[in-house]
Amino acid sequence: MNRNLRIMVIDDENIVGKRLKPALEKDGDIVEAFTDARKALERFSEQQFDIVVSDIRMDDIDGLEVLEQVLARSEKTKVIIITGYATVEVAQEALVKGAFDFIAKPFKPNDLRSIIDKAAKELDK
Amino acid sequence: MNMTVQDNPMPPGSPNTPSRELGKEYLEDIALKSRPVISIRFRLFLAFLVIFAFSMIVALWSIYALSGIQAKILFLEAAGDYLAEIQQARRFEKNFLLYGTNLEDSMQHLQTAEEILQKNKNTIEKILGRNSIRGMSLQLSNYHKVLEKVGEAGDTDERNRYEPELREYGGQLVSDATNFVEKEREAVEGALSLSRRVPFYFLGILMVLIIVITSFLVKNILSTLNRFLEYTNRIGEGDFSPILPKRKYRDEFSQLGLAFNHMIRELDKRHKILIESHKLRAVGTLVAGVAHELNNPLNNTMLTAGLLEEDFGRLPDEEKLDLVRDIIKETDRSKVIVRHLLDFARASEYKIVAMDLEKLLEGSIRLVHNRVKLAKIDLQIKLTPDLPPVHGDEQALQQVFINLILNAVDALPPKGKIAITDSKSSQGGFIEIKITDNGAGIPEHILPRIFDPFFTTKVKEKGTGLGLSVSQGIVRRLGGNITVESRVGMGTTFTVLLPTTEVPSSVSAAADS
Ligand SMILES: Nc1ncnc2c1ncn2[C@@H]1O[C@H](COP(=O)(O)OP(=O)(O)OP(=O)(O)O)[C@@H](O)[C@H]1O
Ligand SMILES: [Mg+2]
Repeated sequence: MNRNLRIMVIDDENIVGKRLKPALEKDGDIVEAFTDARKALERFSEQQFDIVVSDIRMDDIDGLEVLEQVLARSEKTKVIIITGYATVEVAQEALVKGAFDFIAKPFKPNDLRSIIDKAAKELDK
Repeated sequence: MNMTVQDNPMPPGSPNTPSRELGKEYLEDIALKSRPVISIRFRLFLAFLVIFAFSMIVALWSIYALSGIQAKILFLEAAGDYLAEIQQARRFEKNFLLYGTNLEDSMQHLQTAEEILQKNKNTIEKILGRNSIRGMSLQLSNYHKVLEKVGEAGDTDERNRYEPELREYGGQLVSDATNFVEKEREAVEGALSLSRRVPFYFLGILMVLIIVITSFLVKNILSTLNRFLEYTNRIGEGDFSPILPKRKYRDEFSQLGLAFNHMIRELDKRHKILIESHKLRAVGTLVAGVAHELNNPLNNTMLTAGLLEEDFGRLPDEEKLDLVRDIIKETDRSKVIVRHLLDFARASEYKIVAMDLEKLLEGSIRLVHNRVKLAKIDLQIKLTPDLPPVHGDEQALQQVFINLILNAVDALPPKGKIAITDSKSSQGGFIEIKITDNGAGIPEHILPRIFDPFFTTKVKEKGTGLGLSVSQGIVRRLGGNITVESRVGMGTTFTVLLPTTEVPSSVSAAADS
C-alpha cells in the first residue's frame, strides 16, 4: 500500500486536520491539513494535490469556492466535500459543480478512507 | 340610536360579559361597574324634559297673559262707560246752566258713574292705586255736591257763583277719566304687543337651549366615542392593558368598555399563544443552525474516537489520554450548544428580572451565530460599559433580538454588515439597543405595516410575518417600544427601548399610558 497520493484537508475545525492527517498518512499518502482556506489555496498554487477534502462551511471562503478554484487550477484533482448536515441540495450543488463526492459530518476516518480509495481508483484510470 | 343597548338594559351589578369565568370578577371590570349609572337614555330623557318644561312654562304664561288681556279689555269697556257717563253728566250740566234744562239727568249719569266706579273698585285700585280711587270718588262726590248746590240755587247770579267751582271739579273729573281710559288702553296695547313678541323670544331661547343641550350631549358622546377609537388603535398596536373608567358615572359606553375588556383578555390570551408558537418556529429556524454547529464537536469526537479505536494497541498512553481529553472537551462543547437551545425553547411564564444587557445580547447572538456565519455576515457588537440592567424576561427578550437579527440577516447580501449598539436613552430610565444593517432597506409604503401580524415580504417557508409583531408585543408588555428607521438602499435600524430596573414598577405605568 504505497500510493503516495497528495491529499489536502481543509476544515476550520482544528481537530479535523489534526486527526485526519495521521489517519490518512497510515495509507502512505502525503497529507497536508489547513484550517484557513485562503492559505490552503495559496499552497495549492505552489503544489498540485491529487485529492482535496474540504469542509463546505467556513468563515472566509467556503467549500464550494474552494471546489471551484481547485478545479480551475487542476481539473483532474478529486474534491471531496464535507457537509455539515447532509442536505440533498447542498450535496447536489457540490456534485453539479464537479465535486467527486461528499461526506456528511460526523464521520469516522474509515468512512473518508473508502471515498478516498474510490477517488484513487478513479485517478489511476 | 343605540337600540340594542336600550333593548337590553342591564341591571346594575349583573355580570354582563358573556363570561365563562363565572364568579371571577376582573379588577378593571369592578371599577367600571361600581360607578353610578347615568345612562345615555337617561341623559336624553333629561334633555327633552328640560325642553318640554320650558315649553310648558311658556304655554302657561301665554294662557295667563291672554286671560289678563281679556280682563283688561272688559275693564277698558267699563272705563269707557265711566268716561261716557261723566261726559254725559257734564253735558247736562252745561245745558242746565245755559238753557236751564233739567239737572236730574246729570245727577242720574253721575249716579251711574259712581256705580261703575264702585263696581270696578278693586280693579281700579290695582291699576291706579288706593289713593287715586279715593281721589276719584272724592272728586265725584265733590262735583255731585256742587251740582246739588247749583240745583238748589234760586237765581242766575247764585248759579254763576258756583260755576267756576263746578267747572273745576267737572273738568278735573273728565280729564282724570280720560287719562284713566288712556292709561288702560296703553296697558292693553302693551300686553298685546308683549304677547305678540313673546313667541319670538320663546323660539330664540328654545333654539339656544336646543343647541346648548345637543352640543353638550354630542360632545359628551363624541368624546367617549373618540376615546374608544383610541382604544381600538391602541389594542391594534398590541397594547393589551385593560380599559379603566375615565368618568364618574356609568352608561351604555361602560357596557361597551366591559365588552372591550373581555375582548382584550381574549386577544391577550391568543397573543400569548401566538408568541409561543412563533417562538417554537424560531426554535425551528435555530435548530437548523444548531444542527450544523452540533455537527462540528460531534465530528471531532467521532474522528478522535475512530482514531483511538484503530490505533488503540499501538498508541502510547500519553497520546491515548490526549485523544480521550479531546473527546471529553468536544462532548462538553455539544452540551453547551444543546443547553442554549433548550434554554431558549423552554416554555415558561414571564419572569421579569433585572438583566445584564451584555449577557442578554451575547446570549441572543450565540443562538443566531450560525445563521449569521452561514450567510457570511459581519456582525459587530459595540456595547457601552456600565449600563444599568434592564427590566425584562430573558427568553422573551432573546426572542426579540433573535427576530431582529434574523430579519437583518434576511435583508442582507453576503458580506453585509450588522451592528449592534446600546446606549442610555435620552428618555430617562430607558436604554436603547440599536440593530443596524446596511441591507436593502424597507420601502416607505410598507414601513407602517411591518409590525402588523402576518405581514411579510418573504416567501412562504421563510417568513410568517409574525416576528416583528410578536417582538413589539413582548417589548410593549415590558413597558418599552420598538421603532424603525429605514432608507431604501442604505439600510435599516431597529431601536429597542427598554426600561431599566432603576424605574420601579414602570411596567404597569408605561402600559397604562
Ligand atoms: N432589517 C430589515 N430590513 C429590511 N426589511 C425588513 C427588516 N426587518 C423586517 N423587514 C420587513 O418586515 C417584514 C416583517 O418582518 P417580520 O419579522 O414581522 O416577519 P418575517 O421576517 O417576514 O417573518 P418571520 O419573522 O415570522 O419569520 C419582513 O417580511 C420584511 O419585509
Ligand atoms: Mg422576521
